[in-house]
Amino acid sequence: MTISDKNSDLDQLFADARRASVDLPDDLAVRILTDAEAVRLERQKQAVPARRNPILGLFDGLGGWQGLSGLVAASLAGLWVGFSAPSFLPDPADFIVTQDSSYLIADLGLEAIILEDYE
Amino acid sequence: MEDLTSSSQTFRGESIAAETLGDEKLLRLFADGDAAAARILTDRLGPRCYSVALRMLNNRAEAEDVTQEAMMRLWKVAPDWVPGQAKISTWLYRVTLNLCVDLRRRKSADALDSIPEPEDEAASAIERIQHSTRLDALQTALSQLPERQRQAVVLRHIEELSNPEIAEIMRISVEAVESLVARGKRALTAILAGRKEELGYDDIR
Repeated sequence: MTISDKNSDLDQLFADARRASVDLPDDLAVRILTDAEAVRLERQKQAVPARRNPILGLFDGLGGWQGLSGLVAASLAGLWVGFSAPSFLPDPADFIVTQDSSYLIADLGLEAIILEDYE
Repeated sequence: MEDLTSSSQTFRGESIAAETLGDEKLLRLFADGDAAAARILTDRLGPRCYSVALRMLNNRAEAEDVTQEAMMRLWKVAPDWVPGQAKISTWLYRVTLNLCVDLRRRKSADALDSIPEPEDEAASAIERIQHSTRLDALQTALSQLPERQRQAVVLRHIEELSNPEIAEIMRISVEAVESLVARGKRALTAILAGRKEELGYDDIR
């Protein structure tokens, strides 16, 4: 047998193999298309937030309507306390402005020491 | 094919049938959210992936897993695909072959620690498909070729790709492809000649 005979046998075998083409099994096609659909839906889901208004993003970041209403209530309460403090609490502004500093020195017992140095 | 024909109506008013669109155009449509494009691409490219994987692995279940993974990579790469960079089929063949190589390496590593699977299970996969002792002998002989020779022979003589395309898939020169195919065919001829008497194949002369 010559080399060309062997090659033609092999080529014939390849031709037979090509004719016995392999079909895609149905269940495999379903698996592939299920993957494709999952990827497609995931991509659509990711694309939605990207197109959103940045102010809406901030709104969501603060917790939506619930978070925002809580934030407004807390802010208003703070403002109200600032303007009309309850009577049993000292006014911090008065405390700072009107207090006599000599009381502080006397309290520390430093007044006598200072006077002694002058004498 | 019925759903494919109807799917062509969803292709944004284009008058041409969806099936006639190129792979790149279909992939772009899929990336833009067109589910029908995925069906056509699966029908067109899935069998090629599966055929090569089956020839390389000689195991139906493994070939199915590799095909599913290769197609999954195609779906994922769709939005980033640069038109004209390569043929999608070329890219997909390369991905499929690489996945086959990875799988075989993993199996070889696992085989060191475990009991090997019976040979018959792998061989029976192709038997069920081809029902031919001649083709069975060819597949068995292909399985005995070194990896790169088998890749080159399968792409050249089963998939009927051109040498330049095989060179691009395998990332080697055209001359290297020719050499691999020639050596692969010589080895196949020797293996089949050896099996002729052993298996009593009178029709392989």
